[in-house]
Amino acid sequence: MGFSDYMLSDSCRQSAGSELRFDGGQAAPVAVCNPGRLSVAVADGAQARLVLSHGAGCCSTVDVAVGDGASLSIVELFVGGRSTMRIAQGAASRVALTSVVAGDGSAEYRTALDGAQAECDLGCVFLAGDDEHAQVKIRVEHNVADCRSASTVKGVAAGRGEGRFEGMVYVAPDAQRTDARQTSRNLTLGDEARITTLPQLEIYADDVKCSHGATVGQMDSDAVLYMRQRGLSEDAARRLQIEGFVADVVMRCAVEEAGEALLAELNAKLERL
Amino acid sequence: MLSVKNLHASVGDKEILRGIDLEVRAGEVHAIMGPNGSGKSTFASVLAGNEKFTVTEGEVSFLGRNLLEMPIEDRAREGLFLGFQYPVEIPGVTMANFMKMAVAEQRKYRGEEPLTAAEFLRMMREKCAVVELDPKMTSRAVNEGFSGGEKKKNEIFQMAMLAPKLSILDETDSGLDIDALRIVATGVTKLKTADNATVVITHYQRLLDYIVPDYVHVLYKGRIIHSGDKSLALKLEREGYDWLINDYKE
Amino acid sequence: MPEIEKNIKDKEIIERLEEGEYKYGFTSDIETETIGKGLSEEVVRTISQKKGEPEWMLEMRLRAYRHWLTLAPPTWAHLTIPEIDFQDIIYYAAPKPPRKLESMDEVDPELKRTFDKLGIPLEEQMALSGVAVDAVMDSVSVKTTFKQTLAERGIIFCSISEAVREYPELVRKYLGSVVSYADNFYAALNAAVFSDGSFCYIPKGVRCPMELSTYFRINAAGTGQFERTLIVADEGSYVSYLEGCTAPRRDENQLHAAVVEIVVERDAEVKYSTVQNWYPGDKEGRGGIYNFVTKRGVCRENARLSWTQVETGSAITWKYPSCVLAGDNSVGEFYSVAMTNNFQQADTGTKMIHLGRNTRSRIVSKGISAGRSQNAYRGLVRVAKGAENARNYSQCDSLLIGDRCGAHRVPEIVCRSRSAVVEHEATTSKISEEQLFYCNQRGLSTEDAVGLIVNGYAREVLAKLPMEFAVEAQKLLALSLEGSVG
Repeated sequence: MGFSDYMLSDSCRQSAGSELRFDGGQAAPVAVCNPGRLSVAVADGAQARLVLSHGAGCCSTVDVAVGDGASLSIVELFVGGRSTMRIAQGAASRVALTSVVAGDGSAEYRTALDGAQAECDLGCVFLAGDDEHAQVKIRVEHNVADCRSASTVKGVAAGRGEGRFEGMVYVAPDAQRTDARQTSRNLTLGDEARITTLPQLEIYADDVKCSHGATVGQMDSDAVLYMRQRGLSEDAARRLQIEGFVADVVMRCAVEEAGEALLAELNAKLERL
Repeated sequence: MLSVKNLHASVGDKEILRGIDLEVRAGEVHAIMGPNGSGKSTFASVLAGNEKFTVTEGEVSFLGRNLLEMPIEDRAREGLFLGFQYPVEIPGVTMANFMKMAVAEQRKYRGEEPLTAAEFLRMMREKCAVVELDPKMTSRAVNEGFSGGEKKKNEIFQMAMLAPKLSILDETDSGLDIDALRIVATGVTKLKTADNATVVITHYQRLLDYIVPDYVHVLYKGRIIHSGDKSLALKLEREGYDWLINDYKE
Repeated sequence: MPEIEKNIKDKEIIERLEEGEYKYGFTSDIETETIGKGLSEEVVRTISQKKGEPEWMLEMRLRAYRHWLTLAPPTWAHLTIPEIDFQDIIYYAAPKPPRKLESMDEVDPELKRTFDKLGIPLEEQMALSGVAVDAVMDSVSVKTTFKQTLAERGIIFCSISEAVREYPELVRKYLGSVVSYADNFYAALNAAVFSDGSFCYIPKGVRCPMELSTYFRINAAGTGQFERTLIVADEGSYVSYLEGCTAPRRDENQLHAAVVEIVVERDAEVKYSTVQNWYPGDKEGRGGIYNFVTKRGVCRENARLSWTQVETGSAITWKYPSCVLAGDNSVGEFYSVAMTNNFQQADTGTKMIHLGRNTRSRIVSKGISAGRSQNAYRGLVRVAKGAENARNYSQCDSLLIGDRCGAHRVPEIVCRSRSAVVEHEATTSKISEEQLFYCNQRGLSTEDAVGLIVNGYAREVLAKLPMEFAVEAQKLLALSLEGSVG
């Protein structure tokens, strides 16, 4: 059972090129396959959940407007495809995103924090198998004071795969007391694999907390040894480690029910790496 | 030495000090006690010149000069020392360097010759001993990674270095275990002379076992509502503040 | 103090801080021989001829010039660069007389005074401090000290023009081997018209007994400076090289496009330290030096190259001292403090290219922005295929002073090795009110407190400088903050 099927079983299917409005009260996730051009509006104070799935060859543009005090959880899965999502957040709104790019695919997010006290938490995973190209781009704009953003992006590249993360945190003049964090963690699993990570900051205000961290590394060999000593095969131990590496993003899935389906999709992908 | 008359101060629209009167003479030790939020730390900050607070009324003279007109650093150079409740971390700046600059500025202000490097080092070693501070600490960055006890010892070490006329110790006992408390208090006592004065701000009587006050004041809602001798501290320890503050509750 | 008054005071402090006058803003009046403005093949030939260069050198210049014609200035940096008219620049200026000097007495007294004002210890005290200086006044080396001591050990330290004449085989072997003329626009320009610079060769197994130092100084008005430095540390050798810059006040922008090439052979070690204090322009953003520099070193097996820079000057800085870690077990380091004030712009950082196995690199970058300046760190850590067990650790911090400046970080990591570990961390901070209050309470003026805190922030980098240089750099950082309220 695929990710989108799983989600569709208890929600409505939307065709491409449509509009979604959440006026409150609707808590169940809405799953959209290959959304094409989609615009989503969450009314002031409303809560909503959105699940999107992208397949090979599809190219989507999603515009999301989150009203004052509204909250939106988004889950996206890419088994191929490209998408650009533009999110505009009102005051005291909250967006939580979990996105997985499994294989070829490109996920791009442009979040504008336009109202004070807006918050966003973005969690992304990309997995590039042999000859695949997976990328995640995130731009978070702190346009006003007192907003918080956190992005965590985990990437894995195997075989001759190529994974790429481009991040940008922009802090506008006068966007004081901004709290912006950006983390990029990556694994390369082969000598032909390639990881590129570019976590950028552009800051025009002085009273801000901005941090970014990026790592590219290998698996902890002591941990593998330890697991093997407990009877796991080396392959199993390594896989378990990689699973653990990406799972913590998925575990905090913005739409809880989708988490397991995402994990299943990820593990299936990891099997094939 | 210090004369405070009808001191009012506020932060934003909120009035915190509402008419404090206090006289401190050379050779005296004053303790200021009072429940949380009564304005004790604000009083200390205002005397030091913290610009977060606005003085709206009243007068403060220090060694015959109008204290309120002086910038923070001149108050310090005149001999007013504030032992911070929460000493601030300054990454990368060593204690030794920090103190060297502070001592040099003070001497310059007073028209004294600068110390030679050797004199300064000797002075630093001596003063470390006063608070049983490991001289190695002076090569570490100011308060960075110091434990609670180390930070407070470090405040008293700086007090020893700067030999102030008036020391205001803001909750210097908070967060200290009994050994550190003894060391800090003994340090303060050693630094006591007939020419200087100390104002101890504290919650607990236990510090006053070591630093014996001549006067104890109770601060409540921004005013000194009661003063007495050291027996007052003991009474407060036994009976709490209720008997005093009932009259002032709104 | 009431809130408003305090805000005014803060503002004053920040504004005065921005006004810190440029200490070395004077010009010296020296008779200078120049050729006309503009660049053409003919000009390149003239430069080469004036310097009495061999044919092969002229060929190198012409190749570079022809390539340069096909290039356009790079635009990817976070910089706003006014259009530069490359035909409006004088490409050659030499102080007269360009003859060989045996002692200080022969040096133009005016020139000597300039050096003295800068505090360059060119005379006998040099012997005591153990520093050999190859002082570059505009474009031709005037005086080299300690040549004798160095010569005893077989160390060559001379102007690059001299090296072209005296050691052609070394120069031919290494010049352009690390920074090719095709590398970038400014490197091509430099290769075509470079006027002078320093050459340093440390023979196999020799430890250079003193810090080698070159003071650069721009003088003749409207003269572009195109310095070329080539340092070769042969197998197992060691050298610490210091470069310090000050320049006189100018209203007109001056272009400076230097190239520094370093070859660190097997088991050798080179430390390259820079304190850069070119005239930054006035507080309105007028004038100042454009500093577009290409610096790169290549490390062979077990070699180590360490760049340390303190950048406080220039109107525009475009500079990325880099390490190509070609040999196994080689180590690259980059320690940088870049301070910008008023309308200064800096886009600086490093590239660490890991090619060999077990290569290690470390980056510590401390940006300080004040006034309306823009300060960017741009870095690249590239781990190539086959660079097994490569390690990199980068730390890039920003300190912002005032709310009208900008701080930017562009750290790129490209990794193609399964066994590499690359780590990058960055933080942003400001000088807190609490820190200032604490320092004030101990009797320090706000100005001193700011200087102290900034130096503390930069300490990790300053500690990497040779002692005398560190003191100078500390002064320079404080100097840039001069004028703030007491």
